[in-house]
Order: sequence, then structure tokens, then C-alpha cells
Amino acid sequence: MNNLTVHPLIGLLLFPGGLFLLASGLLYEWIDRKLVARFQNRVGPRFIQPLADLVKLLAKEEISPEGVNKPLFFILPVVALAAALTAALYVPMAGFVPAGSFRGDLIITLYLLSVLTLCLGLAGANTISRFAIIGATRTLTQLFSYEAPFLLALLGPAIAAASWQITDVDFYAQQHLWMAVTQPIGFLVALVGLMGKLELPPFDSPEAETEIVAGAMTEYSGRGYALFRLGKNIELVIGLTLVATFYLGGLANPVQFLIKTLGLLVVLAALQSLFARLRIDQTVGLWWRVGALLALAQLLVLFLLR
Amino acid sequence: MEAQRKFIVPIGPQHPALKEPGHFQFSVEGEIVTGATVRLGYVHRGIEKGAEARNWTQNLYLFERICGICSHVHATALALGAERLAGVEAPPRAQAIRTLMSELERIHSHMLWLGVAAHEGGFETLFMYSWRDREIVMDLLESLSGNRVNYSVNLIGGVKFDVTEKHHDEILKGIEILEERTKHYLKVVTTDRTFLARTRGVGLMTLQQAELFGAVGPTARASGVARDVRIDAPYEAYPQFPVRLVTDDGGDLLARFKVRTRELFESYRLIREILNHMPPGELTTRVPRRIPAGETISRVEAPRGELFYFIKSNGSEKPERIKVRTPSLCNWASVTQVAIGHKLADMPMILSGIDPCFSCNDRMVTINRGSSSQVWTWEELRRYGIEYYRQR
Repeated sequence: MNNLTVHPLIGLLLFPGGLFLLASGLLYEWIDRKLVARFQNRVGPRFIQPLADLVKLLAKEEISPEGVNKPLFFILPVVALAAALTAALYVPMAGFVPAGSFRGDLIITLYLLSVLTLCLGLAGANTISRFAIIGATRTLTQLFSYEAPFLLALLGPAIAAASWQITDVDFYAQQHLWMAVTQPIGFLVALVGLMGKLELPPFDSPEAETEIVAGAMTEYSGRGYALFRLGKNIELVIGLTLVATFYLGGLANPVQFLIKTLGLLVVLAALQSLFARLRIDQTVGLWWRVGALLALAQLLVLFLLR
Repeated sequence: MEAQRKFIVPIGPQHPALKEPGHFQFSVEGEIVTGATVRLGYVHRGIEKGAEARNWTQNLYLFERICGICSHVHATALALGAERLAGVEAPPRAQAIRTLMSELERIHSHMLWLGVAAHEGGFETLFMYSWRDREIVMDLLESLSGNRVNYSVNLIGGVKFDVTEKHHDEILKGIEILEERTKHYLKVVTTDRTFLARTRGVGLMTLQQAELFGAVGPTARASGVARDVRIDAPYEAYPQFPVRLVTDDGGDLLARFKVRTRELFESYRLIREILNHMPPGELTTRVPRRIPAGETISRVEAPRGELFYFIKSNGSEKPERIKVRTPSLCNWASVTQVAIGHKLADMPMILSGIDPCFSCNDRMVTINRGSSSQVWTWEELRRYGIEYYRQR
């Protein structure tokens, strides 16, 4: 293995986990927003804007609305953020060796990445706000639609590498031709699945502002909202890292990490600005009729060629 | 009990989908809408009553402020009515300038609508692009009149400014760019697959329904109703520069997009023709300060449809009564009917599909049961308003 290593404690708290992860989450959010803005012929925010938003939200009063289960209301954002942060332990962040790595950590990572969405759904269902309830329903419906194809799409490279350990897949990917070339369908499904996971346009019907205000997060303000947002930003970074590791020839060093994940982000931003929002029934239809079938076909080809 | 078990999604008065306050209640089963109601009146301003306390010239300014988007047609409708009562007619050049402004305003309104409707459907890129290009026509309006909104073009008996050679070239250049862009947008709304998935077959209103609900303007024309005041009862310079009717038989949101976009091309053509055949002459004619007693109606085609004015003069400096019926008011009924059976996600687009304007159709109705009648003075109405909001 030719990846770099750091002391575990530093890796956990400062780099590439912990602080670095938070900072990169904010940075990637800014890049995403700026790119979408430029594609839409807008100016877009300054680079400090996501941090400013975060600080402002953290400083604000957190209102717990009537009719919610209070402990749940406060703990859900924390769990969501914690799950996202934990998921980073198993991915080669910035091209370094992951802090924790064991056989089958791919499944754990995917599970941890879904916890955020689950928390979001629970948070929406916890309140009595009608917008939040509809948002929660849509969030969970969407979860069930993209999760399986996304998993199948990440399974492709894992099967090719004959291991469910992310570092092994990373190592395999570094030795072989980019799997985006050998398994193009899986790459596409994984990339679009990531957009569904992050509820980015055109898969943003769970938080379609013109229909249901902010969806499941409607009742959240202040700290809870800030943590959810931060969790999503971190998930964006982890998701990009994961897809880059699996499909773009692995991540051997920080330079590769930057180039590959940012390259993916540009594609993601372009896709975000190209389409009109899909209705939730169209999202589900798209994933099960097209996404899942494509991913299955990909797997089938893999099995036959082995 | 049955009514209480319904799951009602309230939209408004404050909601990100609404640019103006209005209140809609959609009862839903899952995502399917089973009932819709509209409640308006959050921005009632008492303009009709206010008109009775102002003279004719002042009213021109007041009525221009009924709507921030189609301000010019309001003033035009009032000026046309007042001129008819006074028995004068604006000079041909003034008529042509009014028509020119009407068409420029239609372009600005339709472009604005295109952006808003795209935004409601979550197509932010189209929203941003169409509003960027709308700036071209806003700049033209500003260079002509000095204002981006409330252009204040009209006088009773004429217009305030002339269209010079410089304006002439500016407008033609602007229109040329806009025409190119509009072609692109027409292509986008008719071919983009994600967008078509949101518009095709959504909000379907048949020709019979459109007639039944009394829909007007592009909303009706998208259902195949051949109705346009500019053609049925040409006013101003429209007899000299005839409009070609734009209709579509689709009846759905896609048809409304198509009709409005095609109307843009018609406006470009009209503007070119008016500019190239601008009649020479005076800009104003003399109008008596007191408008002779009488009643008249005045109809013009606003960007949203037929705008109707009833004007009554008692021979003094001030009008006796001015009644305004704006096009959005006619189209609301169609929304509440058409909405049923659609998904909640379609509601913002169906709402914006009629190009609604809230403040211009807010009115106050006092219903007196029995035979008693009640006439309120401006002062009483004002006091009532203050009391009403204090108690809430």
C-alpha cells in the first residue's frame, strides 16, 4: 500500500479527520454553491459564506416547537453529524490511509452515510408541522429509491477487487484502469445516486421550497439546523471521496484527492443546474425503472466476465 | 368529523412559493390533492374608493400603482375611458407610443412569468437566465420613460414623451437579442425532458372548462379560446398594427408556456412594425379639466388577459366611480378546479400557470343581507381598516 499515514490521534482530530473534515465540508459547499451560481449566471457567495452561515446559525436561539419530543429533537442533528463524521474514518480522506479499516467496512460506511438521511426523516416526522411531515415522507421515500441502486453501483468495484474493504478497493483501483472506464454504468449510477443522497437538484423534492418550505428541516433553526447542514456538507465530501476512490483510479495522495473530487464536484454542479426538479413519484420511478436495472445489468456483466 | 380528518397543506399568506400574500388550502391524500380553496385580500388597498377623492390626473398615477408589472395598461384603460367620456382622442403618434409601451410591457411581464414559473418547478437555471434577459427590456423601458416600473407614460389625451431616433435604434437592437433568446427558451420549454415531465398534461383545462370558468388571456388561449381584446375590439394603434392571435389546443401547462413564449414573438414583430411606421404629429391634445358626466367601459388586453374598467363621471373634477376587474380574478376559479387530482408538487406550477397577480385583485366586499344598503366614505373605510387590524 502506498498511501500516507499519520498518527492515529492526529488523524482522528485534526487531519484528515475532525477539523479538516469540517473545513473541507464548508469548502466543498462553497465550491458547489459558487459553481452552480456561475452556471446560472449569478455571482455566487464569497468563500467565507458557508462558515459565516454556520457561525450565525450556531449563535442563534434554537427554538423547539410545540408538539415535538424534545430529547429527540435535540439529539437527532448531533447523531446525524456524528454518523457523517464517523463514516469518514473508513474512507481514504485526502488520500491518507483511513483511521480505521477492517473487512466489510464498505457496508458500515454506507450505513453511516444513510443515518443522516434517516435522522432527517425522523426529525421531520417528530414535529407536527405539515410541511415537515410531508418533507419527511419524501425524504424516506427517496432514501428507499436511491439506496439500493447506489449500493449496487458501489458493489461493482468491490466485486472487481474481490474485497469489501475500502482500502483494498482503493489499492486495486490504483493498480488498474479507472473503473469509470470499465464500468461506466456503475459510475453514472453512483454519481447520480450521490446527488439523490444529498438531495441536490433535480432530486430536491424532499426540500422543495416552493411546495413544502424546507421539508423535514422546516422547524429547525439555530444549532440543530447548523449541524444538519454541516452533516450534509461532510457527506458531500465523503461521497465524492468514495466515488473517486472506487471509480476514478483510487486516491494515492492528497493531490489526487483534490483533483479527482473537485473534478467530480464540477460535474455534480453542472448536473444540478441542468434540470428541472423531479416530482417524488418521478424520482422513485427513475431509480427503480432505470437506476436499479442499470446497476443490476452492470453487476450481471461483472459476474459473467469473471 | 370527515372534514377534520383531512390533511390540509396551507400555502401562504407567507410562503416561499408566493411572491405576494395569498392563502391557499390544499387538502391532500398522500401527495394527491383532493380539494383546493383560495382566500385573497391580504393586500387590499382601497384604490377604487380612493379614486373618488382624487381628480382625473391624480387618478392616473393611483391606478398605475394597482399592479407593479402591468402598470401601463391600467393607466391606459383609465385614460382611454376618460378620453371617451370627454369626447377627445389622443393623437395618432401618442396612440402608437402607448401601444409600443404596452407591447414592451407584455415582453417584460411574460419574461418575468417564464422565470417565476420555472422557479416554481425547481428549474433555477431557466429562472436566472430569463430574468437576466428581461433586464434588456427593463433597460429599454427605463431609457424611454425614466422608470423601470410605473412608467407613467399616459396623460389624459396623450403621452408624456416622444420616441426619438436614438430610442428607435436602441429598441430594435434590444428586440433582436431578445428574439434570439426567446427562440432558445421556446426550444428549452418544448424539448427539455425533465421540464416536459413537469408540464405536459399537468393542469389540463379543456376548452369547455375555460369557457365555463371565464378564463381570460393567455391562460384561456392555451386552452384554445380565441379571445384577445387587441383583436376582438382593437384600441389605440392596434387597428393599424393588427395582432395575430396565438392559441394552443393543449390546455396544459406546456400549452401555457408555448402560448406566452409565442406571444413574445408577436410582440417583437409588432414593436418593429410600430417603430418603422411611427405616425408623425403631436403627442397630446387638449382635454377639459372637468370630464363631462357619463358612463363608459374600457377594455384593454393586459399581459394576463382582459382588463376591464367601468368609469362613471358626474361632470366634476373627480370621477364618481371607477370599477376595476383585473384578469387574475377571472382565472382563479380555474386553479381551484384544475388542481384537484394533481400531485402536491404540481401545485406551485399550476398556481403560477395562470400568471397570478394578487394585489391587483384584492377587493373588499360588504354583503348586506336584506334590503339595507350602505355607502362608506373614504374616511370611514380607513377607520374600519385601522380598527380591523388593531383587533386581530
